[in-house]
Amino acid sequence: MRPLTLRRLLWTCGSLAVLLLASVVLALKLGAVPISVTDLVLDLGRIAVGRANELPTEYRLIVFDLRLPRILLGILVGAALSVAGASFQALLRNPLADPYVLGVSSGAALGSILALIIAPGFALVTPLGAFLGAIATIAGVYFLGRREGQLDSTTLLLGGIICASFFSAIIMFLLTTLSGRDLRGMVFWLMGDLSTPVSAGMQWIFTVGLVAGIGAIYSTSADLNLLLTGEREAIHLGVDVTRVKLVVYVCASLLTALAVSASGAIGYVGLLVPHAVRLIFGSDYRLLIPASALCGAIAIVLADTLARTIVPPTELPVGAMTAMAGAPVFIYLLRRGLR
Amino acid sequence: MRIGHGPATVIGETPKVRTPSRAAVAGTLREKGCGFVRLVFLAGLFLFLWPQIEMMVFESMLRAANGMKAKFWRHRLAEFCVAITVLFLIVCDGTIAGQTSAVHAANPQGRELTDEVGRKVRVPQEVDRVVSLAPNLTEIVFALGDGNHLAGDTDFCDYPAEALQKPHVGGPVNPNMEVIVSLMPDLVLATKSINRRETVNALDRIGLPVYVTDPHSVEEMVASVEHLGNALGVEKSAAMVAEDLRGRLSDLDRRLEGAAPRRVLFVVWTDPLISIGRDTFIADALRRAGGRSVVDTKAEWPHVSMEEIVRLQPEVLVFASAHGGNTQRDIDELRTRPGWKNLTAMQNGNIVVVSDAINRPAPRMVDAIEHLARALHPEAFASGAAPPSAESNSIVEEACACVH
Repeated sequence: MRPLTLRRLLWTCGSLAVLLLASVVLALKLGAVPISVTDLVLDLGRIAVGRANELPTEYRLIVFDLRLPRILLGILVGAALSVAGASFQALLRNPLADPYVLGVSSGAALGSILALIIAPGFALVTPLGAFLGAIATIAGVYFLGRREGQLDSTTLLLGGIICASFFSAIIMFLLTTLSGRDLRGMVFWLMGDLSTPVSAGMQWIFTVGLVAGIGAIYSTSADLNLLLTGEREAIHLGVDVTRVKLVVYVCASLLTALAVSASGAIGYVGLLVPHAVRLIFGSDYRLLIPASALCGAIAIVLADTLARTIVPPTELPVGAMTAMAGAPVFIYLLRRGLR
Repeated sequence: MRIGHGPATVIGETPKVRTPSRAAVAGTLREKGCGFVRLVFLAGLFLFLWPQIEMMVFESMLRAANGMKAKFWRHRLAEFCVAITVLFLIVCDGTIAGQTSAVHAANPQGRELTDEVGRKVRVPQEVDRVVSLAPNLTEIVFALGDGNHLAGDTDFCDYPAEALQKPHVGGPVNPNMEVIVSLMPDLVLATKSINRRETVNALDRIGLPVYVTDPHSVEEMVASVEHLGNALGVEKSAAMVAEDLRGRLSDLDRRLEGAAPRRVLFVVWTDPLISIGRDTFIADALRRAGGRSVVDTKAEWPHVSMEEIVRLQPEVLVFASAHGGNTQRDIDELRTRPGWKNLTAMQNGNIVVVSDAINRPAPRMVDAIEHLARALHPEAFASGAAPPSAESNSIVEEACACVH
């Protein structure tokens, strides 16, 4: 493994950031309503010099009030899910771990369904219910996963999986028995969908949570590298394993909860992106965390652009796209890595 | 500006068509320019303050690590990426927040209506461009003679034939917001039983007025026609359509007076068997046609077990014709299945295939009800009975076929 230098870190993240910017511009351009790149650049310039009033109204609405917030939400969700996935893979020392492996998405789905049943008229009912459900699941799985006073990876994993299947069963029960209720949105939600705009307040909470969560996980990345070699070894090397596990568990779960409550359960990103990044850039968590965040953002932005444009004017749920596009890319990387 | 009838709308240039309300929206955008500068300033301030905040938050963690300098730079980098994200977010936040107020200020002269789910909707005085998000609403708009004002409808709007020529905004459950906005509607129509709440919320946020209907019975469907007539400013034709529909329904009631209701199983879906609950408009349509659903439950679209149906032994099975026209083949196939073949109605061929119009709470539903009534109670329509109304002759022949 090549040693990580500051130069390499900066180059990697810098080029990924440029790639992200390029995919944002691409996503702004593509859509059911075609827009030329020159117009887009000119109008971005007009907005930058404060002459936004020269733009046609519905153009503004489409590009800057429909596409841009959706792209930004995609960036946040992609970054959150990828970092959470990478963290869980280290925490559980299991390459199959993804952000939903501990039942957060099922808990969130159950929370939002219950919220829809209790208070159907309330506008923010889905994200709020999802967040509360996710938090309750995180707390529940935490207590299930404790053994002799500290988090045990195997118990945690089993507890999470059991919770996930239990909640999924309840969701299926509710969806079949309450077919008359206004639960049509849930199908989209379960697949993961970015088309529902989140409110301004939600975006703030989301950004702050994302910054805090990724920052905290990043501060433990050197410890995560050691933790991957084994818990006992990490303790001998002076890592405060209990604290690191707690920080990573809470932060990664919160990141997942935020992502899920904003966009539903978008699958595969949290599993595939960290592995892809590992195959390309190596498995040093000090590089893996920021690179995963950027690559996750790129992946979601591109997948959502595909979901919006592949059969216009119908929009597909982005979760379907991430699975369809993600699996072949991942297989390619895996084969390449094996050679 | 608009090319053909697809959603291919090229924008980027100043649109040629502008209603007064839109000009007002453009006027309010000037304020948003100031708002943008303010936001950029705030973002700059945030970028300036953030390193200090971060140092305080992560100081303890930094101290724990070896190689202070390297850690510091790593944090700088992470912070750079995050700061860019935050900057973008602030910008989009401002554009959303500004937009809602802009549209509200744009049409103070509009009428305020309350839609069928109790939302307040501000509708412009003259509605020139309507987008319908459900097939039944499209049918109602055409029945009101307002089809030329329909700017767009969904992929599933197949009646009348003109509806197919309109620009499509995608499916009713996941319409494309961009296409809806590009059609510049004055009013968007949605219906609670088909569209998603999220769609209506999203349109609300953009500031497009959405009128939501929620009919649960045939009578409420007729009321919906009147409400939509009011919202679209075509009260006269709405009153005519409603009067015609009510006349036909009361004529039907007169003919079926005293006839014992037939016990009916309405089949929404066969695999799994899905029927109707008592609060649906289809159950009401069955009642109007002199039938009574054997399935009596509060759930709207209940999954019913075959055992229960065999026990209940409905007198007549009612199917809605499929779009592909394979209903007859499907029924022949069902005839061989265990459970289905034990039904007396199936053995005796008491099967009615009714137009799929019965699935849509729109004026054409009354045609389907009339046909169903004829099939269930042929005696009431014998020549000696009251003369049929003129309208019932206009029904398309393929709409209903009595099988067997």
